[in-house]
Amino acid sequence: MGLLALGTPLDWPEAQKNANHVREWGIKQLLNIWNKAKGKEKDALLWGDEIEYLVVNYEKDKPEVTLSLRQADILHALAQDENLCSSGGCVPALQDIGGSTLPIFHPEFGRYMLEATPGKPWGIGFKDLLDVEPNMRLRRKIAKEHMNPEEFPITLTTYPRLGSPGQFTTPYYPPSGEKLRSQFVPDEIANPHIRFPTLAANIRSRRGRKVQINVPIFKDKNTPWPWKDPTVNYDLHKYKEDDDVRNGASPDNFIYLDAMAFGMGSCCLQITFQAKNITEGRRMYDQLSPLGPILVALTAATPIYKGFLADTDVRWNQIGAAVDDRTPEELGEKPLEHSRWRIPKSRYATNSTYISEDPRLRKEYMDPNLVIDPDVKQQLMDAGMDSLLATHFAHLFIRDPIVIFAEDLQELDLSKTDHFENLQSTNWQHIRFKPPPAGNDIGWRVEFRPMEIQITDFENAAFSVFMVLITRAILSFDLNFYIPISKTDENMSTAHKLDAVLNEEFYFRKNPFPTRSPRPYSSNGPRSGTVSPAILSRPPTPSGPIEDEYALMGIDEIMNGSKGDSTNNFPGLIPIVESYLDSMNVDVETRCELAAYLDLIRKRANGTLWTAAKWIRHFVQGHEEYKGDSVVGEKVNHDLIGAVIAIENGGRQGVRDVEQFLGPVVKPCGD
Amino acid sequence: MTRLILSTSNIMTGGPSIIRKPGPASNLEFTNSLRSNFLAAQQDYSPPLSAAKENGNHGDIEKPSSVRPPSSVWTSRDGSDYYIPTIDWSLSGLSEEPSQYDVTVKLFYLPGADVNSRGQYAKDAIQLVLKELGVQSIDLLIVSFPGISFEGECEWEADKKNSSQGNDDEEVASWPVFEELYNQGVVKKLGLAEFGSEKLSKFLSRVKVRPKVDQVNIKDCCNVPPPLLKLAKVENIELLVHNDCTNILPSGTLRELLGQGVKGAGVLSESKRSLEGMKGDLTPKWVVKYTAVVRDRGVIENKGYFAVAELKE
Repeated sequence: MGLLALGTPLDWPEAQKNANHVREWGIKQLLNIWNKAKGKEKDALLWGDEIEYLVVNYEKDKPEVTLSLRQADILHALAQDENLCSSGGCVPALQDIGGSTLPIFHPEFGRYMLEATPGKPWGIGFKDLLDVEPNMRLRRKIAKEHMNPEEFPITLTTYPRLGSPGQFTTPYYPPSGEKLRSQFVPDEIANPHIRFPTLAANIRSRRGRKVQINVPIFKDKNTPWPWKDPTVNYDLHKYKEDDDVRNGASPDNFIYLDAMAFGMGSCCLQITFQAKNITEGRRMYDQLSPLGPILVALTAATPIYKGFLADTDVRWNQIGAAVDDRTPEELGEKPLEHSRWRIPKSRYATNSTYISEDPRLRKEYMDPNLVIDPDVKQQLMDAGMDSLLATHFAHLFIRDPIVIFAEDLQELDLSKTDHFENLQSTNWQHIRFKPPPAGNDIGWRVEFRPMEIQITDFENAAFSVFMVLITRAILSFDLNFYIPISKTDENMSTAHKLDAVLNEEFYFRKNPFPTRSPRPYSSNGPRSGTVSPAILSRPPTPSGPIEDEYALMGIDEIMNGSKGDSTNNFPGLIPIVESYLDSMNVDVETRCELAAYLDLIRKRANGTLWTAAKWIRHFVQGHEEYKGDSVVGEKVNHDLIGAVIAIENGGRQGVRDVEQFLGPVVKPCGD
Repeated sequence: MTRLILSTSNIMTGGPSIIRKPGPASNLEFTNSLRSNFLAAQQDYSPPLSAAKENGNHGDIEKPSSVRPPSSVWTSRDGSDYYIPTIDWSLSGLSEEPSQYDVTVKLFYLPGADVNSRGQYAKDAIQLVLKELGVQSIDLLIVSFPGISFEGECEWEADKKNSSQGNDDEEVASWPVFEELYNQGVVKKLGLAEFGSEKLSKFLSRVKVRPKVDQVNIKDCCNVPPPLLKLAKVENIELLVHNDCTNILPSGTLRELLGQGVKGAGVLSESKRSLEGMKGDLTPKWVVKYTAVVRDRGVIENKGYFAVAELKE
């Protein structure tokens, strides 16, 4: 989550009046960072993962399960321990962690959420890769130790009964609060830090109505059809936004959600990489972008909303809708009068720009509908920024800042990046290009944001490590995954479908390998003396039709490679990673662990193992209390949460279908 | 006698030939990248192509052998050395300063090569690699002796079988050249390949400069033979994984690579009466693989092979 500065937040009409002010200062700060860091070189690969947890109250013999809203107390308890540690009086549990740095815990949007990151960034030493999973377990353990006995940190993307009628939080608060104005969730669901309720309220105000999230209902054998969301109240008259449902916000056959918490209250698995320099950062940003939807489909874990089985498997679009602040004019529902432009996507969406100065980036790949602020672009280019990068930031800056603190408007501080970050960190695109922060030695970074959090730390480590290895392979083999960026939008929408990992096809580049450049000084090679050793210039951009460059492929083909019956001849991302590993000095223990990670992903891709979404769906449908009507009742929810807790706490025996989900128990390596 | 020096140049950007195919360890990466480097050199050094080919698509390696250019165009001679393809040393070197890299080299002694010449082979191989990468030293040199492997379903059995493979005396007798390279600082760390517990323990007791690495290729890297695991721990030897086959360049494969066939380079003649190509007895002697990795970024910048064979005309 972004910045947590304190101050006096401006309400919406006020904030909007100051939007230009923030943007102008943001651009000045951006140019300041860019000028300072554009020549920054030779930064090491450092990377970090972020794990987000839901905190639930669960007792085996008590039918009610609730979300715990004690985030502040838990963080306080953790902070107390850290203070103790730094003053030398650490509790034994925190001392005994083998000399590694303590993990760091952060608040998140949901008041029932926690985020934990490693205490220091990871490197590329293979021993570091082995430390990831134990560190994730440690984070979970430390979090648990600072909770009540009945509280558990779990890594489901969403709480299945968030917003269901009745009590789903402890303590209970009634819905229809002033800030969210939601029929389903109370204002107290959000982190009370003033930034978060303001964010939610200003998005709602800017939009002119509540956010509207319509998730298709899963049609089971006893699901009434057409299905009308039975939890919607059409007779509320407290706020003007209560009219939304009377104006058609809750169409038939869709689960209706009406608050930011339904989206930003989801847990994700995010990885941030530090690049060698700005050039490598821009290249990684472009090359990782097409992988986003593929990893979404592979990590699918979100089949339930508000106590109903959904007809989708992932969270992405729901978050997009949950923070969609576009006005009716920007949405194209009304002619442009007050808004500056129509905007095709939510602030939370797949990215829309390619930014690498790579000769392989063809103009046909760019988004033809990209909206930019031409004045911002001009200003950046006048200051010397190249057109590609200026376009990227001029695109991010079409948005308004949502949360503005009055105190920050007094004086422009060029040593800070707060105004730039205000825009940057509320453009929640699936991949984010991050300039160096102010005041330390961190370099240019790329954040890979689309993956769904996985139920176990084994899976979370597997996907994190896979992403690290694929970035190394991309740089080592000089791979090229470019497809038209609009195809990545289509892929993301495809990734939502039920079991997309097995049933759907995605646009993907067929040949990821570089074209060989002819030897300089040979009869067919360049003769100029400008060629430096080792880095030969890339050959000219090929000019065949772009449609020939990509094809529709299943996730199995993309991950494991084309089979004999395919004409794509795609090598597969996992064989590419294995070839990278074959060229590195890896010790047997590490290789064994990495093999287990790659095996999990290989099997998720080819259907041998189930995604969490499929496992959860089967769990619900196979439960004795489930009536075939798409309803995930309290008892089903209780047992599901119980199973999720058991799986990650050494109690996986007896959990239904666990072998289909995670595979047979792996015996410890090296024994 | 002619010494044939075969090279792949940097294979990292060489496309699909380096991507692992399912199945056991093989020499496909090596042979495929040799073949594609031959084809690339033939294309690059041919007389400039007509406008019909000017679409920048030089990566097309499916060029029919009928239009193969004469080998004199794309190979070169230097005394009794014959470079296939010709090497432009002005293009060698790494992009950052040498201290940024981990350079690993693996030397494969091939079966049938002269055991007494192993010292010279080692020096020749190291010299080529140092020249190609533009560095003064190598971080890890792994020596692969012929006839050793881990075979069998059961890891205990494989370790046992391993003990009777290879030739202990010859292997120990071949070691002093590596000790010398180590003492000169040219090589910072030495390693072996495919030594099981018994061979390794005997070897350790007979050499002055001990290997610090044993590189093994085991079917399932989670099933390392326990005696080897134990020995490695006690002796502080790192067990690394690899995916190479030991006999990386059988002479039949080499003949095919250089021969007149569709997939051959057209350097060697097919029969004694043939007019095209060189004739004689061909013996592959050694292969060396080198890898340069940017240490703190995990990026492989340069990887390739040299191979040397002798041709008795």
